Amino acid sequence: MATGMTMSDATLLRRLSTLLVARSGCPRRMRLFSSYIVRGATFEPPDVSHLADSARISLAPGESYSYFRFGQLQAVDLESVEPSVRADAEVSMHKREDTPETFENREAIIRVAPSYDDPYIKVPKVLSKE
Amino acid sequence: MPPPPVRSPSRLLLCHCRLPFHISPQTRLPLSHNSSVRRRFHCSAVSAVSALSSDPQIAPTDLTTTPPSSHILSIRESLLSRRRTAADVAGEYLDRLRRTEPHIRSFLHVSETTMREAEEVDRLVASGKDLGPLAGVLVGVKDNICTAGMPSTGGSRILEGYRPPFDATAVRKLKEAGAIVIGKTNMDEFGMGSTTEGSGFQVTANPWDISRVPGGSSGGSAAAVSAKQCVVSLGSDTGGSVRQPASFCGVVGLKPTYGRVSRFGLMAYASSLDVIGCFGASVIDSAIVLNVVSGHDRFDSTSSTHEVPDYASFLMSTDHFESTPLKGLKVGMIRETIGDGVDVGVISSIKAAALHLEELGATITEVSLPSFSLGLPAYYVLASSEASSNLSRYDGVRYGNRATVDELNSLYGDSRADGLGPEVKMRILMGTYALSAGYYDAYYKRAQQVRTLIRKSFKDALEKMDILVSPAVPSPAYKIGEKVNDPLAMYAGDIMTVNVNLAGLPALVVPCGFVEGGSAGLPVGLQMIGSSFSEEKLLRIGHIFEQTLPNYRFVPPLFLELV
Repeated sequence: MATGMTMSDATLLRRLSTLLVARSGCPRRMRLFSSYIVRGATFEPPDVSHLADSARISLAPGESYSYFRFGQLQAVDLESVEPSVRADAEVSMHKREDTPETFENREAIIRVAPSYDDPYIKVPKVLSKE
Repeated sequence: MPPPPVRSPSRLLLCHCRLPFHISPQTRLPLSHNSSVRRRFHCSAVSAVSALSSDPQIAPTDLTTTPPSSHILSIRESLLSRRRTAADVAGEYLDRLRRTEPHIRSFLHVSETTMREAEEVDRLVASGKDLGPLAGVLVGVKDNICTAGMPSTGGSRILEGYRPPFDATAVRKLKEAGAIVIGKTNMDEFGMGSTTEGSGFQVTANPWDISRVPGGSSGGSAAAVSAKQCVVSLGSDTGGSVRQPASFCGVVGLKPTYGRVSRFGLMAYASSLDVIGCFGASVIDSAIVLNVVSGHDRFDSTSSTHEVPDYASFLMSTDHFESTPLKGLKVGMIRETIGDGVDVGVISSIKAAALHLEELGATITEVSLPSFSLGLPAYYVLASSEASSNLSRYDGVRYGNRATVDELNSLYGDSRADGLGPEVKMRILMGTYALSAGYYDAYYKRAQQVRTLIRKSFKDALEKMDILVSPAVPSPAYKIGEKVNDPLAMYAGDIMTVNVNLAGLPALVVPCGFVEGGSAGLPVGLQMIGSSFSEEKLLRIGHIFEQTLPNYRFVPPLFLELV
């Protein structure tokens, strides 16, 4: 799947386990796009457990990844090209008045909360990290 | 296993209603013969309406021998003339839905109040009050579009059973126009996927060949319209999720300009790319739905105040077409979409469609879009990045499934690990990476710069051409299971569609031909792309194309077998 790898990438892939993780009886392999070469330098492959932590997704032990590359973005010359935040740069954002309005169906919002103890939505305690 | 098809002599004839796959230049009929063919097959909006409403049910012979007509207008006419009741119409669709669902599974939820709502419409008709433009029309709604009191899961287990407290603006507008939401349709989880195999619940089958996918992520909505389980449906399109299933299922798919339709109530996947679009069996029906759902919304600051014309009023009956109704139209065929990597049958259908446009008076020129191939990596970086932010709200706290744990961080982590599917998790992690410190410039910013290049190349091309055309997908519908372990191949299928989302442009997919496969061939759609807010032009061209397309009728075998 990955072509044009550097030696460090190949080593990394060899070291990574490619165990298939069973989920609901179906094998799944999770994949991430990854490093590429820019002017001879290789970016660090993603630290997946750090990413999962940032994204608040628990990883099962042994859950593993293989990589693909989106190197084409790096190959193109984008000198002096302005980034586009959205499709149409001329969109005029019509904002509404910054005044609170009561939603007419608060009951339906509260009803779907997994754990509610008026007026709080309850969650378990936070454990401080040592 | 599907039941054996009912065989009778007339049914056999109907199943093979399609003539040769394409008309090659040598066998192409001269224009004058086409005119007589058109006269023989033609059916103006008025006569189509009376043909449909004179029978208690949609008669297959009408569907397979005439160009597609407006089911919405036909229902309206039959209600106003008292020839049918809304309860009759609703009963017919519900019955057909129930009979076809075991084979295609396009719905995640079927409404329990359909008949009651139809009876309301009948009361309105009896009272003589004005009927909305969609009165009595059964609509399917993709499950990532919120419907108050009806489950809306986004195709995800993390929202299993979730009932929103509000209707999306597009749904509210449909209901105000008199539509009846018949159910919520299946989709790839949170819009991420092209087959519905990414749904947390079920895989939808293509009514043309139930061993194949309907496309995605709006696969359920496309299949439902194709099998006539509903009249029209809503979908969403972030990278092609309305246009690709429209092509796979042989229905009309419309992706409006970004900002044309409010996104309030659409579960966000990529906020700068998402739009709500629609499916219909004819261009007129798509135009009528667009009329209803378009417009500025105070709850969506990215919605446009651009005026909403009456999109359907531009669509004349074929009685009034001159012999070259598209005379003067300049059409650009995107060169990068008809070369390597595209199925030869698809290329051949698109070229035949181009010939048809020429016969109608248009001039076709090949155009090249520089940076075309950069769209795919730019799209995946942008979409994953925005998704990683948008999906952070699914944390088990205020709604959805919550893991049973003692500690808050585990609540987030385990609820998301259990409730989100592998494709979604992968894209969230990809997006988190692309946005992280040290990588933002290399990935996200570069993708935004590529977006500028793509916008500019479309703008330049659309200054010289009125519209651009291309296939919607490089191939016909895949077999179920074919792409599940080959994500790169799955992503590559989006190549024809993602650039349009990056540029925020409108696009219409109209069925134009068939390729080999299944018992009756597999449909192929022609994608037409216009400049911002040029939906009226696209719909007019699409309508003329559709109404004059000789020999093809896009009625899947499943419908004919089970009707």
